Amino acid sequence: MSWQKDIVITGIGVISPIGEGREAFWQALRNGDVGFRKISLFDTSAFKVHIAGEITGFDPLAYIGKKDLRVLDRSTRLLLSASCLAIDDASLEITDENTFRIGVSVGATFGSLHSIAQFDIEGLREGPRYVNPSFFPNTVINSPASQVSIRFKIKGFNSTISTGFCASMDALVYAADFIRLGRADVVLVGGVEELCEETFMGFHNLGLLSGLDGREPLSCPFDRRRNGVILSEGAAVIVIETEEHALDRGAPILARIRSYSSAFTPDGDYKFRSGKGLKTAIENALSEASLAPEDIDYISCCANSTRELDRMESAVIREVFGEAVNHVYASSVKSMIGETYSASGALALAASVGAINKGFIPPTVNYLETDPECDLNHVVNKALDAEIKRALVTSSDPYGNNTVVVIEGVNNE
Amino acid sequence: MNRRVVITGLGVVSSIGIGKDEFWKNLIAGKSGITPVTAFDTTEHFTHMGGEVKDGRASNDKVPTPVRNLYSRATQLALTATKLALEDARINNLENSVNDIGVCYGVTTGPIQVIEKINDIIIKKEKPPENLICQLPPHTTLAAIGRELKILGPNYVLSTACSAGNYAIGFGYDLIRLGKAKIIIACASDAFSRISFTGFNQFKAVAPEKCQPFDKNRKGMMVAEGAGVLILEELEHARNRGARIYSEIIGYGLSCDARHMTTPSVEGIVECMRNALKEAGIGPEDVDYISAHGTGTIANDRTECAAIKEVFGPRYREIPISSIKSMLGHTMGAASAIEAIACALAIAHDIIPPTINYETLDPECDIDCVPNEARRYTVNIAMNNSYAFGGNNASLLMKKNNS
Repeated sequence: MSWQKDIVITGIGVISPIGEGREAFWQALRNGDVGFRKISLFDTSAFKVHIAGEITGFDPLAYIGKKDLRVLDRSTRLLLSASCLAIDDASLEITDENTFRIGVSVGATFGSLHSIAQFDIEGLREGPRYVNPSFFPNTVINSPASQVSIRFKIKGFNSTISTGFCASMDALVYAADFIRLGRADVVLVGGVEELCEETFMGFHNLGLLSGLDGREPLSCPFDRRRNGVILSEGAAVIVIETEEHALDRGAPILARIRSYSSAFTPDGDYKFRSGKGLKTAIENALSEASLAPEDIDYISCCANSTRELDRMESAVIREVFGEAVNHVYASSVKSMIGETYSASGALALAASVGAINKGFIPPTVNYLETDPECDLNHVVNKALDAEIKRALVTSSDPYGNNTVVVIEGVNNE
Repeated sequence: MNRRVVITGLGVVSSIGIGKDEFWKNLIAGKSGITPVTAFDTTEHFTHMGGEVKDGRASNDKVPTPVRNLYSRATQLALTATKLALEDARINNLENSVNDIGVCYGVTTGPIQVIEKINDIIIKKEKPPENLICQLPPHTTLAAIGRELKILGPNYVLSTACSAGNYAIGFGYDLIRLGKAKIIIACASDAFSRISFTGFNQFKAVAPEKCQPFDKNRKGMMVAEGAGVLILEELEHARNRGARIYSEIIGYGLSCDARHMTTPSVEGIVECMRNALKEAGIGPEDVDYISAHGTGTIANDRTECAAIKEVFGPRYREIPISSIKSMLGHTMGAASAIEAIACALAIAHDIIPPTINYETLDPECDIDCVPNEARRYTVNIAMNNSYAFGGNNASLLMKKNNS
């Protein structure tokens, strides 16, 4: 059991509003495609906003077949499909021999909210004796993750982490720690969030959505015009394992996880008032890996087009990176994907692995007006070809969580 | 990685007592916390009993009045238990160590009562207030504990259904072993839920009157609520400040059945217990007491006993195995945390809490379930079992600290 185990990424599966499968996803990021459209999943007539990052044309049959599909909610279908892609991508064979050494670690917070709320609504409308019990198992937050284990016969462990915007990054931290502690050789790390009426109502009624003023919703992180998020959905699954294990089984290595760190901001006001926790997390992630700010080539930001978060994140990055801030590229893929909440960290990680492997910086699209409070070395509107050795991925939640991960290419020592 | 982790504080909010002393006194007296449900109208349900925390004692004097309407019941239960546990650990002034303290919180569906309240409003075509919507994410509890205690360390929510407590304690133990924290507040809570009550009723899994784990005529589980908090501390840190040590955590095991969302599997549970024993470096012969998951359903108790027989071999009848769910009902995510507290106290006092309501032997569950009366018994090592929807199994091992 070694603390110094190198942990690598060997497979990626993505189901997102801008593409399914990692190659399509990476190409869409390079193109600067945006995934926003009119919501068809539920009636939006009671809301002021009608646009979201809804995944259209998603066909779970293509990935997971018909079995039990009827009782699986949308989050579960998204996560199962992304898992299927990731397992294929990693050429991972799950057998009776290795299944107890493989785990599942998923970030999900509102993934089951629709199932939970609808189960209750049915009871209120029809009476508790007329509620369909076959949907009861969907009312636990770990149901999408557990369905991954059931579908792919993964028996090592199965955990769900629910820390909002940081959930799938925390799921990665949890999984990597499990590998370091010798509890598993391989872990499927995922994040999932479905677009549903309940989550949309929450973001809408708290005033977090762009377009509440009646104008066209806009996801433009760091731009002076930003006025809220475009809510979105998606799932990403990343296969991680020890480098030794990957080499032994001849798996292609996409990137290495260099370091990670979490810190808490105990303001408890549900706003990004201070960036103390994010600052600590970035500093610790760098120092743990003995990296200087200039060793980072690209920062994949969590900025989501809200006034507070984008300003706070920019200030923290400027403070930690000092002089180097002018040389480190920064962008937020949420300009294209929107805010996928629990899935956002896993999608940003998947995007950054693409950046490292394909040699480009995904752009912050929709960028028009500079905001002096968000002054970073932004890559705007068009992808930039660049060789990237190391990327730092951030996540920050208004309830206090902050988690940062540094990944790097494998051929640059 | 060689750091040792001990338990130095206990906080509990349950249907049979607030605070570890009241809880323990009633637990070993075999007192039941099951009463008619008051949280909502059960006229249309098949059953009407549950394990509620009574008399507004969920928030006690530990949740400041001005913020009570900002904290869901699950959060209030958790916060009260957290403060009780910190008092018990004699950790009063956190200011010098906030960087080294983290929280691992286990929960089933988080602020499930918030979803229910919002539904009550929506169904009347009214608009739910902002302060209610703010409580929807399960990590509201982290924000509340953070706000109250100003801690800065790692914070996680483990939402692995009915085994969440053990997952939270387990990862807290990992974080200390990895050197990421000196103290972890391992916390779990769930509030009494209409959704759970309806769901388990529709599964025909709820007992009408009483919970009778391992009894031949057992009729099911009891939906309940509560919170349990264990202060986990790095051994040296605890010694240096002269802390009282209840017991040491020596390992835990996880597994996933990977078979069915709700039907437990012998194979998965066996694997889980064996993982725990392996990690702790002990054999089945070293275990003195098993706190069973023991929900009182036909399927759970039968499966759990079969798995115990497989792991412990012919000795399985010699090990006292009890289920405190017979008294508390099933407190969902909080259950395994409260049961871990019972294990810590069993080790500290050398007394094993009973399985109450036991009447008739079931040949499929022919274990020594410590029927109806607590027993004086030397407990050096205790195993705390928990299983969950999704086949998420966790077994925790605790040991008397003799040093």
